[in-house]
Formats: sequence, structure tokens, C-alpha cells
Amino acid sequence: MMALDVELFGQLADGSLRRQSLTLETPLPVSEVVALLGVNPEEVGLITIDGVQSSMEDEVPLTCRLCFFPPMSGG
Amino acid sequence: MRILRVDMESLQVQWEPVSEAYEYLGGRALIAKLLLDEIPATCDALGPHNKLIFTPGLLGGAGVTTAGRLSIGAKSPLTGGVKEANAGGTAGDTLAKFGIKAIVVENQPKNENFYILRVTHNAADFFDANHLRGLGTYATSEKLQKQYGEDYTVISIGQAGEYLLSGAGIACTGEKDQKSNHAARGGLGAVMGSKGLKAIIVDKAKAGALSFADADLFRTASKRFAGEIIENPKLGPKGGTHLYGTSAITGAVNEMGSLPTRNFSLGSFEGSISLRGEHLRETILERNGQIGKRCMPGCVIACRNSYVDEAGEPIVGTVQFETIALVGSNLGLENLDDVARLNYMCNDFGLDTIETGAALGVAIEAGLAEFGDFESISALLRQIGEGTVLGRLIGSGAVVTGRVLGIRRIPAVLGQAMPGYDPRSLKGNGVTYATSPQGADHTAGNAFGARNQVNPLGVEGQKELSLNLQIVAAMLDCTGLCLFARPPIIADAQLMVDMVNGIYGWDLTQEDLDRLYRDVLRNEIEFNRRAGITALDYRIPEYMREEPLPPHNTVFDVPESELDTIFEAL
Repeated sequence: MMALDVELFGQLADGSLRRQSLTLETPLPVSEVVALLGVNPEEVGLITIDGVQSSMEDEVPLTCRLCFFPPMSGG
Repeated sequence: MRILRVDMESLQVQWEPVSEAYEYLGGRALIAKLLLDEIPATCDALGPHNKLIFTPGLLGGAGVTTAGRLSIGAKSPLTGGVKEANAGGTAGDTLAKFGIKAIVVENQPKNENFYILRVTHNAADFFDANHLRGLGTYATSEKLQKQYGEDYTVISIGQAGEYLLSGAGIACTGEKDQKSNHAARGGLGAVMGSKGLKAIIVDKAKAGALSFADADLFRTASKRFAGEIIENPKLGPKGGTHLYGTSAITGAVNEMGSLPTRNFSLGSFEGSISLRGEHLRETILERNGQIGKRCMPGCVIACRNSYVDEAGEPIVGTVQFETIALVGSNLGLENLDDVARLNYMCNDFGLDTIETGAALGVAIEAGLAEFGDFESISALLRQIGEGTVLGRLIGSGAVVTGRVLGIRRIPAVLGQAMPGYDPRSLKGNGVTYATSPQGADHTAGNAFGARNQVNPLGVEGQKELSLNLQIVAAMLDCTGLCLFARPPIIADAQLMVDMVNGIYGWDLTQEDLDRLYRDVLRNEIEFNRRAGITALDYRIPEYMREEPLPPHNTVFDVPESELDTIFEAL
């Protein structure tokens, strides 16, 4: 079975699993995966799919690494 | 306000009024103008004609949150061009409250002696510092505070500065027992050493309060500024910068494939999980260390930490992202305790962790130690403090280390090592490295925070992005603001106008300040031109244009024609 490797960084993981495996039956937009995870989309500052910056509208492949980060500044 | 001239040859000081040309300048802006006006650009950076300048920003001493940074500048022995580096601590605020716009250190002693310069609200004098020779910055500041009082702020160099090594920085003490705020970059510690100046001590107990020309205007603006930082989701008490410190971004930089790994040969580190801010926070709190400390009085962001060992004993304060990247993943080290211990050694020797981490990475590639092996790496680093030939070589920075050891892959631009973002997968930073008059320096225009505006892996828009970021960085560096504090000013430039006009009674406009920020860059570019620096000196290393960086397998491909024309829109 193909699965997503999903990771929540920083404060996004407060009260939920930091890293989990998720299986999708069909590709979904990032926004729907966010809803599945119970993450508030307004608290997401960066999304990466296999390390590439992505948006809520992008489609999540059935197999990939999907990461969500809170808002961040470089310092 | 006044300028304090310090002549290290005659050991005399002179107070002079601020001339009209410098009235509106502070921090990096004042450094750029003084360098251009007073220093022969082709002079030996470690010779008598160079000048070392200490100056608070325009907001210094006024109680504006995050605005107490001290800018230090000179011609850089590392880049051969202009250099400004700034640090937190208490010196910036105190000098501003003394009414000191700048301390300008000139000439060199006729002998081999080292000196301490003491500065109070109305006087300055010298003491012999030969009993401090060979001491690191921690012992130097401890001894001086024991002798002169805990209320003294100490600005000092370690062994690296005494040896005139181009990787040497300058340490500044802060509130309470805080010893390690560093103006690290560009070899300014070597310039201080060349002046025979081991330390400056500043009597902060004598600092009074500033008087404001228009207190209402100032307070309204500064209160709103602080409020917006507190409300900012990145910076406030629930924001990542406060909760995890600068290391909040470690996971993201790694995921984006830009984390320097094993001498910049990879952009992602398999051991990065244990270097992340999340792990750092958990470790520190488990061990009863401290998170959320501030480096300047009144800072509401408070991104510092006090990293402790398993027994709860302090190792170093503070472990920051750049250090994690350069002496952690770049050296193949995945244990934060190891990173913290190397961090402490660098701080104590008075070394820039970025330059030193990059030089160690090059030395490891040459076979002098092993990636991931703390013992062999720390043994190399220890040699810098001991002053061995090999130690002095590595302490002179990544370029010298690579050239002597025959290593071609040297991650540096304009003689200065790259910070914690590989330019092949964060190309906006590559443009900054390849164009900033400061050399490879993320604080001159960091594109990481603008990743939603311009694709970090693409070419389009990077030139314009970097120029805008470089102007913003100039704003921060000439007002004394921390680089995290930019969002409220970017959102409303009038905030800065009101704060500055409220303090000084000026009648500046947004356009006036914008011109001032741009003039910083214009003056620096002109200084470097006079110093003989050409476009070729700013080039990204050839291997980074040809060797793809995993995991995205990208090269730095912003055309040179784009880089060479970036300042046409300045």
C-alpha cells in the first residue's frame, strides 16, 4: 500500500502526532489533507511536497513526503 | 551627540561634535560614510590606516524593543572591502544614552602591548591589558567585570583576534551573566587586535535616559511597533522564533534542500532531526536550561537560549541556527551537545562560527578530520586557540584553508564563507551573496522569509527580491534593529519615520529615510570599488554553478548579467 509520510513542524504538532503515515485512495489537494489532519490552515506558513514548496491548491501524490511548517523568519 | 576618537598610537582620546554630514547617520550607515570619507580604501586592513568603528543605531538608547544593537565596522581583512557586523548585548543602548554616536579607533600602538579602553558617560581612558593576553572572551569579560564591576559592559576579543586571524569576531556582554553576543563576521576581531585593543569596557550604570524631542510622537509609534511584533505569529510569545529560537527554521531549510551538509556537498542532512529547533527546545527544557531569553534589554522576541548539559550545567548561551548549520550539519555532526561545545570554543576564542565551521568543513574534506567525528573536529578547533600553525590557518577562514590545503570546493564569496543556506536551492540568497558589498552574508538580505513571493528554486525575480531585501537590511542595520523586527516597518514605513523624528526632532519623510538606506549600499559599493574589488570578486564559486546539489539536484544558475546589473535600480 502506498502511503504519505506526513510531518508537522513546530507549534503545528502541539497536541497531535508530529509524524504519521497516511494512506489516500485518490490524490487530494493539500487543503483537504490539512482538513483530514485537523490542522488550522491559517497556522500553516510553509508546505513542502518532497522538499518542494507547495500551496494549498496543489495536488498531493499518493506517495510523497508532505510537510507543514508554521510561519517562520530566517535569521 | 559626540564622536569619541581614540588614538591607539598616542593613547589619547578626543571628543568631537558630530558634523552635519553625519547627523542623520547611525550604525551601518555611519560606518559606510566614515570609511568612505576617512580610510584609504586600498589600505592594509590590519595596518594603521584602517579604523575600527563602534556605533549604535538611530533608535539606540530610546527603549525601542529589539533596537539596541551595536554596529561594529572597518575595512575587512577577510573580504578586503567594507564590513559591518552587529551584536546584541548592552553596549549599543549604553553608548547611545551617553550621547556617543560613535567610537572611532585609529592608528596602532608603537609597541606590542594590549590595552583596555574604559568609556563612561563623560570620559575615556586606558589601562594595560597585558595580563589578559592569551585569554578567551569569557575569562576576559569575567576578569574585567570582577575588577571594574558587574555594571560594566565588556567588548572584547579572544585569542583569534590577538593572532590577527581573519575569522575573528568581537564579543559583547549583555544583561546579567550573558557573555556571548558576537559581532562575528568579516574578521573585525583581527582589526581590534591590530589596534592593540583587548577590550572596551563601558560603564552602563552611568547611562541616563534619553530626552525626546517629541515624546508623544515617539511613544505612540514605538508602542505600536512593539505591539505589532508581539501580535506577529512568527515573533510573538506563541511564535516559532520565541519558542524555538533561530533554530525554528532548521527543519524547513533541511526539507527545502538548502541546509549546508558536509562542506556544502548536500542540501539535506540525514541527522537533521536532532538538530531541529523542536529537539533543541525539548532538550533544553528537560535539562532545566532556558528558552526565550533576550539578547538586548526590552526585546519582546527573546530568541536566545541557555544550552545546558545532562547535569544541567551551562555549555553555551546561545545555540543559534547559523551555528547549527555550519558546525553541525556542515561537519556531519548530529548531536546538539557537540554543536554546543564547538560553539562555546568558537565564542571563547573569539571566532565567527560561520567562517570557522566552513573552514573546518574544508579542512575535513582535505582529510584533517572526519565528518561526524567530534573528537577530531574539536581537536582541530582547539589548535586555533593554541595558536599552532594549523590552527592559525583554519582560523584565517575558509578561503585560506582551502587554498593552502588544495581544496577547490570553498563555499565563499568575496573571501567570506557562506552562512546556513546553500545558494543552489535558495537562489535569492545566492544573489545576495554574489552582490552584497558585505560578501556572503545572510543578514545583508535573506530570501528565506520571502519564499512565498519568489520560488526559491527558480531564477525569475531573484534579482529584484535580493535588491529589496538588501535595502531592508540596510534599514535594520542603521537603526539598530534586530533583523527579525522588520515586519512592522515593512508594513508601514511611517512607523520608523515617527520614531526617528520623535527622538531627534527631525522632519524626515519616508522618502528621506529610503534615500538614507539606499545610500548605505551606494557608499559601500563605492568603497569596495575604490578598494579594487571588481565583479569577478563577487562570483559564486564555479563548482556551485556546475555541480548539482542533492536532493533537488539544482545549480546556481542566476545569470551573471543579472548579478552585475542588480544595483542599476538602486
